[in-house]
This record gives sequence, structure tokens and C-alpha cells, in this order.
Amino acid sequence: MGEAEPVFRRDFPVKGGDFAKAGAAACEIKEILKDLGIDAPTVRRAAIIAYEAEMNVIMYAWEARMALAVSPGEVRLTVDDRGPGIADVPLAMTEGYSTATAEMRELGFGAGMGLPNIKRNADVFAIDSEVGRGTRLDITIRTNGHKP
Amino acid sequence: MSTPDMNYHAIHITKDKCIGCVHCMSACPTRAIRVSGGKARIIDQLCIDCAECLRVCPHDAVHSHTTSFASLEAFEYKVAIPSTVIYGQFGSSVLPNEILSALRRVGFNEVYDLSSICELNCAATEEYLHEHPRPRPFITATCPVVVRIIQRRYPSLCAQILPIEPPREIAAKIIRTILPKALGIAPEKIGIIHITPCPAKVVSINSPATLSKSYLDGAISIRDIFPQVLKALRKSEEDALMRHLFPETLFSGIGMGWSLSGGEVRGLKRHRAVAVSGVVDTMRVLDQVEGGLLQDIDLLECTVCPDGCVGGPLGVENRFLAKSRVLELVAAAGEHAVVDQKDVSRLYHKNFLSFDHPVAPVESRPLDRDPAAAIEKAKLREKLAAELPQRDCGVCGAPDCRTLADDIARGYAGIEDCPFVTPAKKEKP
Repeated sequence: MGEAEPVFRRDFPVKGGDFAKAGAAACEIKEILKDLGIDAPTVRRAAIIAYEAEMNVIMYAWEARMALAVSPGEVRLTVDDRGPGIADVPLAMTEGYSTATAEMRELGFGAGMGLPNIKRNADVFAIDSEVGRGTRLDITIRTNGHKP
Repeated sequence: MSTPDMNYHAIHITKDKCIGCVHCMSACPTRAIRVSGGKARIIDQLCIDCAECLRVCPHDAVHSHTTSFASLEAFEYKVAIPSTVIYGQFGSSVLPNEILSALRRVGFNEVYDLSSICELNCAATEEYLHEHPRPRPFITATCPVVVRIIQRRYPSLCAQILPIEPPREIAAKIIRTILPKALGIAPEKIGIIHITPCPAKVVSINSPATLSKSYLDGAISIRDIFPQVLKALRKSEEDALMRHLFPETLFSGIGMGWSLSGGEVRGLKRHRAVAVSGVVDTMRVLDQVEGGLLQDIDLLECTVCPDGCVGGPLGVENRFLAKSRVLELVAAAGEHAVVDQKDVSRLYHKNFLSFDHPVAPVESRPLDRDPAAAIEKAKLREKLAAELPQRDCGVCGAPDCRTLADDIARGYAGIEDCPFVTPAKKEKP
């Protein structure tokens, strides 16, 4: 066992449909990263990813666990939801594609930025989804890492 | 380049008056206050000069370093540029022109209205937004506290601050450019003073975030100068009649409402803007912007005082009456424009209205400079937070349990500071 380098872990439960708490987990994640001394551009990327991922759960899934793991050099975020799953992942990864309802759009969400935006801001991005079960995102952001 | 002291503050606690109650500590939105040894203390790195503490202190122990009228004696020629907030401070029968002329009687050689410069700023902002389609949203730089919040808590948003100087600085720059030549007086003998309900203007003057040096020489609070202005107004009713009949200043309808939340962006015709007021709401919206939201908005106006500058803590009239009065004046002035868009465009393209340099982030306060040590401290903080009672009583001298856990992890406090942790638990290593 025994990890070679220290890892900070924290889990954030997110409930589907809980618009009142929209962004709460993402904000906390951002605060933690700042306290850990992570550089501002990396914090920004992580904030955008966490916000999008959290909103996806609130808008489409029933519940999820967002797991944050920070080690020197990288931030990992795993979002594991119980929900309807995504039937066509490549389509959902298309810029501009969205199934958001009019109410969601009214609230400023669902511009079809979600998944592609997450991927764009991540250094490593993996998605695994099963219809009727849920979706799992695995995201790694390298601190001081440079994205073109 | 000289770096101004980024931890310079306008807000201070008078130890003699402080009794160590926890009002200010609970009110502080950045958790910058601790109470120890029976006195409140502000942590310089965390304070954003929002003055929430000043508003709630029941013992008048929080004060602000505004400029005193007496200190203006050092200047041969004194110029006042009062915030448009002042027009709402004297009830509905006193007109802006009378207030400006009363200020002259108080001892200023020259007094300039800011509403026209507010309009100018708005026109320049429109031009800037038009020329810069990205990023979105831009954030206005008028409220010095918002600039401080962004530098400290949202460093990645520094590049989204719209780089046009606020009206007070533009006005002072114009006056400083023309007056010495016109009067034949050495520039340093001319004192240009802002009159304001805001303690943070002193910060932006003494420690400017976007200029190498402020064009203003000081900021007097409305509260301090109010009695003298009132006296001057009472003494000059005859004069007031003349001013009504023959106004010397033409006020801008677009600039007149600048002090109300939404007033800065009201004059924008071709861009979508949103106005936020109040320090907590401002931070909530900035969190969203940092998370990538609000990209369909061109301009975000943030003012940390409730309802905008009209809700500044150093005003006299309560903000609801003041707001009502300003709205009357806005309605009376209508859409009256006093500046020529072409002139604004010329000044704008000469960079006369721009920042000297962009807003730079102020170094944050990580748990530790070493990433591995910071992670260990964060883990310790989690463990401590779980042991604390979550009652947020403030007896330990920190505003809440989470902050005490943070202070302990940083080595500034001990678990024994919590009155709820049992002695048995306290003995544990």
C-alpha cells in the first residue's frame, strides 16, 4: 500500500434536480485548489470542469458522487452518476449538442457546452456511459500543464 | 515600476473602542477578522475594504482613513469632484447646482459635476466592448472593492476587468491636464479631491491597482463634509433661487443615475449588461463567471454596496431616500446627453481613458508554499473540521468552525481554543 506522494481526497455528493445548490460543489472544489496553492489558470480550468459536471448531474441525473483527488502535479475529478445514461456518447460530445429543456436554457444552462467544454479544459478525459445505469467521467488536469 | 503596498487598507479598528464582541467578525464576507485578547483584528491579506464591519460595529470602533478637510490647506487651489451620490443627500428641494455651489462656499475653489464624465465613461465602455468581442463578460472597474476581490479571490478574472478608468480618475486627469496651464499654478499646488460615501476610494487613491499614480489627492467622506455643506445651503437661499433660474452646470441624464446599481450600464445601447450589488451577491456571481458561466453577457457591473454607491457606508441620508431622490433627478434629466460621442472616441483612441497597466493578481494565501505540505495541511484541516461542533459560535475568536480548522492547520490557533471540544479530546495528541 502506502502512496508515494500525498493525496488530498474529498467526495462531494450531488443530487439531481437540486438547482438551489447549483455550483456549490464546484465552488468548494475551487476554494480547496486555491488553498493548495494550485496556479490560477489551472484552478480556472478545474472550476469550469467542476461547474459543468455538477450542472450535468443536477440537470439530467438522479444523484452522483464527485470525487476530488489532488496530488502534487495533478488534479483528478471523477464524477460517477446514477442516471439515465447517454445513448450516443459521440453525439453528446459534439459542440452545440444539447437536450436541455426550455426552463434549463432560461436559467442559462444547456448551451451544449457541457461535455465538449469539459474535454477542452481537461488534459485527460474519459467517459463511460450505460443507458439506464449512469455515466462516469474521469478527468485529469495537470497543474501548470499547458493546453493549446 | 514601483509597486504600491497591496495590503494597504482604509479600514482600521480603534483598539480603545473595541470591546471584542463578534459583530464585525460575523459580518466579514472574506473571514478576515479574528477576535483575540478581547480585541478584533483584521488580517491584512484577506481584507478587501468592503466596510461590512464598519456598518455593523455597535461601538463605532471601525473607522476609515478618509482625507480630512483641514489637510487640504496644503494646497493653494482646491478642486472638488463629488460622487453623484451627493445629489441624493439633501432632500428633494435642493438641486444639484445648489450643492455644487455650497461646496464652493465651504472652501473649494472649483467644483465639478461627475455626471457628464459618467456618461463619457459609458460611451467609452461601449466602444471598448465593440472592439473587443472576447472575453465575456467584462467586469466594470468602478468599485475599488470589486477590483480587490478579483485580485485576491478570482485572480483568473483579472483579465476580464474592463480597462477603462472610472469617472473619478478620468475627471481628475482632465482637470490635472488643463487647470495648471489655465491658472498658471504649479500642478502640485492644485489639490483634486473626491467626495464620496465610500471608504475604499482612499485605497484606490493610495494604492492604485491600474495606475502608476492616482490623479486624485484624496477622498473626503460625505459624512465628514455634510454639516458644512448643510450650513452653506441654509445661508444661501437667495443664491439658490438664482441657481434655479440660471443653472451653471448641465447635468447628464445618462450619468446622473450612475450611483444606483445598474446606473453604470444603463446608457449602453448595443450591449447586454447585468448589474449586481452587495458583496455576497457579487462574490456569488464572480464564482459563476470563474466557472465559465455568463458568457452571453457583455458587461457585468458589480458594486459591493447594497443598491450601488448610493448605499455606501459614509453617506448620511439613508440609502432608500437617497435612491428615491436620485431617481427623481434621473427622471428630471431624462436622456439628456452632454458629451459628444466623437470627442469620447478621440480621447479613447488616444488611450487617455485606459488603465496604465492591467490589474495584477495579488499573491494568494495557500496553506503552504510546498505542494506536498499544503496537501498534508489540507488533510489535517479536514480532520479538525470533523472534530469541531459546527456551531459557528465565534467564542474561539474565529468566525466559524471551518475557519478555526483552517487557522489551526496554518499554525495560528489551537484546538483548545474551541470551548466545545471536551478536555478528554483535548488531551489527545
